Amino acid sequence: MDDQGCPRCKTTKYRNPSLKLMVNVCGHTLCESCVEMLFVRGSGNCVQCNTPLRKSNFRVQLFEDPAIDKEVEIRKKVLKIYNKREFDFSSLKEYNDYLEQVEDIVFNLTNNIDVERTKQIMEQYQRDNKDIIQKNKAKLTREQEELEELLLQEQQVSEQRRLETLQEEQRQLQAKRKNKQALLDELEISKLPAAVLLAQHKDRAVQLETQIEKQKQNVKPANIFSTGIMMGQTVSFASVSRVEEVLYVYQPLCIDTYGPPVPELDQLGRLGYLNHVRTASPQDQAGGYSSGLACHRAIQDAFSGLFPS
Amino acid sequence: MKLNIDGLLVYFPYDYIYPEQYSYMLELKRTLDAKGHGVLEMPSGTGKTISLLSLIVAYQKAYPLEVTKLVYCSRTVPEIEKVVEELRKLMDYYTKQTKAKNDFLALALSSRKNLCIHPEVSSLRFGKEVDGKCHSLTASYIRAQHHSNPSQPVCQFFEEFDAVGRQVPIAPGIYNLDDLKDFGRRKGWCPYFLARYAILHANIVVYSYHYLLDPKIADLVSKELAKKSVVVFDEAHNIDNVCIDSMSVNITRRTLDRCQTNVETLQNTISRIKETDAAKLREEYRRLVEGLKEANVARETDMYLSNPVLPDEILQEAVPGSIRTAEHFVGFMKRFLEYLKARLRIHHVVQESAPQFLKDIYEKVCIDRKPLRFCAERLRSLLRTLEIADIADFSAVTLISHFATLVSTYSKGFTIIIEPFEDRTPTIANPVLHFSCMDPSIAIKPVFGRFQSVIITSGTLSPLDIYPRILDFRPVTMASFTMTLARTCLCPLIVGRGNDQVAMTSKFETREDFAVIRNYGNLLLEMSAIVPDGIVAFFTSYIYMENIVASWYEQGILENIQRNKLIFIETQDAAETSMALEKYQEACENGRGAILLSVARGKVSEGIDFVHHYGRAVIMFGVPYVYTQSRILKARLEYLRDQFQIRENDFLTFDAMRHAAQCVGRAIRGKTDYGLMIFADKRYARADKRGKLPRWIQEHLTDGSLNLTIDETVQLGKHFLRQMAQPFRREDQLGLSLLTLEQLQSEDMLKKIAQIAQQA
Repeated sequence: MDDQGCPRCKTTKYRNPSLKLMVNVCGHTLCESCVEMLFVRGSGNCVQCNTPLRKSNFRVQLFEDPAIDKEVEIRKKVLKIYNKREFDFSSLKEYNDYLEQVEDIVFNLTNNIDVERTKQIMEQYQRDNKDIIQKNKAKLTREQEELEELLLQEQQVSEQRRLETLQEEQRQLQAKRKNKQALLDELEISKLPAAVLLAQHKDRAVQLETQIEKQKQNVKPANIFSTGIMMGQTVSFASVSRVEEVLYVYQPLCIDTYGPPVPELDQLGRLGYLNHVRTASPQDQAGGYSSGLACHRAIQDAFSGLFPS
Repeated sequence: MKLNIDGLLVYFPYDYIYPEQYSYMLELKRTLDAKGHGVLEMPSGTGKTISLLSLIVAYQKAYPLEVTKLVYCSRTVPEIEKVVEELRKLMDYYTKQTKAKNDFLALALSSRKNLCIHPEVSSLRFGKEVDGKCHSLTASYIRAQHHSNPSQPVCQFFEEFDAVGRQVPIAPGIYNLDDLKDFGRRKGWCPYFLARYAILHANIVVYSYHYLLDPKIADLVSKELAKKSVVVFDEAHNIDNVCIDSMSVNITRRTLDRCQTNVETLQNTISRIKETDAAKLREEYRRLVEGLKEANVARETDMYLSNPVLPDEILQEAVPGSIRTAEHFVGFMKRFLEYLKARLRIHHVVQESAPQFLKDIYEKVCIDRKPLRFCAERLRSLLRTLEIADIADFSAVTLISHFATLVSTYSKGFTIIIEPFEDRTPTIANPVLHFSCMDPSIAIKPVFGRFQSVIITSGTLSPLDIYPRILDFRPVTMASFTMTLARTCLCPLIVGRGNDQVAMTSKFETREDFAVIRNYGNLLLEMSAIVPDGIVAFFTSYIYMENIVASWYEQGILENIQRNKLIFIETQDAAETSMALEKYQEACENGRGAILLSVARGKVSEGIDFVHHYGRAVIMFGVPYVYTQSRILKARLEYLRDQFQIRENDFLTFDAMRHAAQCVGRAIRGKTDYGLMIFADKRYARADKRGKLPRWIQEHLTDGSLNLTIDETVQLGKHFLRQMAQPFRREDQLGLSLLTLEQLQSEDMLKKIAQIAQQA
């Protein structure tokens, strides 16, 4: 960083540690005092590339390479327009293509390739997708959401820990004070020998400690709905893309029982099987039971596995 | 010796066995039977390695379908070699006993630096250079170019291996690194790629931790290991730190500058290629649009840059549109880089979480989370498309891309700390961005999930229950074994006071105290007079050691000590330290003895053994707490407290005690060895510290050896050393701490053995 300097007045960071380098949309640096001097009237041209610049657009250079400053600036602008999220696309591939397109635009703008055409494309896109851009402005990407969630969790945990330690300290302090007072009182009033009292006191102190351990409460976080969904999470409203697949066709179940065929349920009475089972009482039938069911099952049991396989 | 371990026939290549080895094998067998993970602690020098190997090999032979592979992870190359030698002994014994030809394939794997046989490449000094050079000779596109243009140099060893090496399986046997190199030379094959290919069908693989734990490497090397493998982590007391290191990234201003040049090179290469060979970029683009995984991803030489662990569902997805074309990606990297530079330009410390970082980066430079996630993957693809051979130069941009991927993937368990200067030099601006992992379980989770049994073992794992907690796994067995001894050959003493009754401690408030430093000096002086041969003294940090030694010099203590022994000092410089170590050993050999002053957590405390006369006494000056003001440590402690309910103090004490135990354990490397262990700090006498020492040390700590003064220590030490110096023969040990087969099978011995293992 020391060898960086203003290209106009040749001051370097080494000679003037308080040197502030500024950068504008064209990505060329100037030091603060040069900016003050050259842009007294609020606007002017870049010393190096003659791009018309405004004084208000000068910002402190963050990175060593001013090109990065410029790129980030452009990128932020582009991303404001190209703000579609992953769930706006039906497939990952489309989303990736879109990302690449954005990247291309940023690349072209930073490296001054086809600037006019790229700008046209951008304007076209902005006109075409006005409502989506408007809608997505407030939304975060899924990844950012995850990050926010993690950060929140972290905050909560540290906050909780701080509270806990604070509470615990207070509780312990109070308990100890109380215990001490109790000991003094007892020594004053009680007729037991002092050694016994001291031993009791010690026991109590130990008990107190364990109690304190147990009493730790958990502070519940209050930013999750009872369903476990985060508050403030955005839900995608994009239409679900239609998936064309072969429809499922039902095929009747066919079980090989290794036995003679079992008569159908409704034929049991006709074939006389039902004569051999207890007829269902009205109480049984109330629940949908019929004597045929039990009979059918018994026959299935009896028939299956009769043939050697 | 043939043993019957719970119904399993185990060949043990020695005539005698320690009771604890038998007990260890029993526990191990139970773990394998249950197909679960285990944590086993057994003192160093009691034959952990051979017990592990003989049991698992026997298990593999008995149930070849249950356990197909043993993956043995150790820390350093010498340790790997040691394991292979033990294994060779075992296999020789097998062939001798069963008369059958050995059908086991066991091999060691290490980095290219240790395995390369290419005359030019292997002469390079640094591992990174070797890797880079190797890659520039073996990358698939280089080889493709070689086809059309034979003047393009390639590695003939790799070509040879690629042509025939894969068809011919490597013959069964035991291969250490040198064997592999010999084999490679004989056949003309590249040993490194041979080994990497052979681990797929080897029965036993011995390699370093990083091949399993570092996600960047593990993905390449250990991806295809079968689920039915048994994984052993030996010397695993530091495993959590290894895990954390493998997932952390540190970025300095220099990294960013190098990265800047990398990005510029990328940009130039892209514009050049665009003019000459635009089809290539179009092809890559098409592939990325389709979301296809690269078909040639299995090319082993190309898999040089691997991505850090990513959830699979992300890897399946297509690369997001905003970084699909090469130019856009370079622009993206530039923005990211400039953002990081801007972040490093600060004057106060910033600590934030990953989500905060992501939010900020979106606001500042409009970088979304998703493209960040794909950063490492995208860079890999780009580097391959651009066919950049000399990849070593791109380490900076690779590091940044890993950082991008990690920070956007993991929202928990990591923290970002940006420090404008080091704590020690607050006037010199040296901004660093630490992206530090706080949860060791992230790196090791895939290992526990994937393999059927994972065994964590070391000499010092106490307290056992903390490892499953910080690594987040459920072991089926946790056991600590003690050392059965025919004579008490270790003598731990806790010295708490000087002769003037001033408490001895390295506590922060009193560490500058004149009396404490003098007492420490007196302790060392007295010990140097009574201990024969070598003494190793450990301090808590380099700075503390420097202060104390300077002060000793002023007080004349150093001069007095030098009348008894020579003094050597460990420094932060590796070459200097190894020189000091060598001279120390020479001095010990010569009979007069020497003192080595070193630092806990340093090189000496971790990897170097002081067998027999090299270390007759170890003095631990102070409790080796880690530097607690470090923000990274503070963040980790906080995380441990919130996630695992481990209190800060518990963890700090645990960490300090495991290092102390590691240090004092250096002196006892076997049952015939003996040594004094002096803990010179009164805090060691407290129950919470003492209770965290390994059981085999705790056992010998009696009430009489707590809070001693210096002259009491001298008395006890003299007595102990005189006793130990008596001749000690194998017969004295037999039946007590060393067993023959008959003794092992006797009824009451088995009963005794059952008590050795203490279940945690």
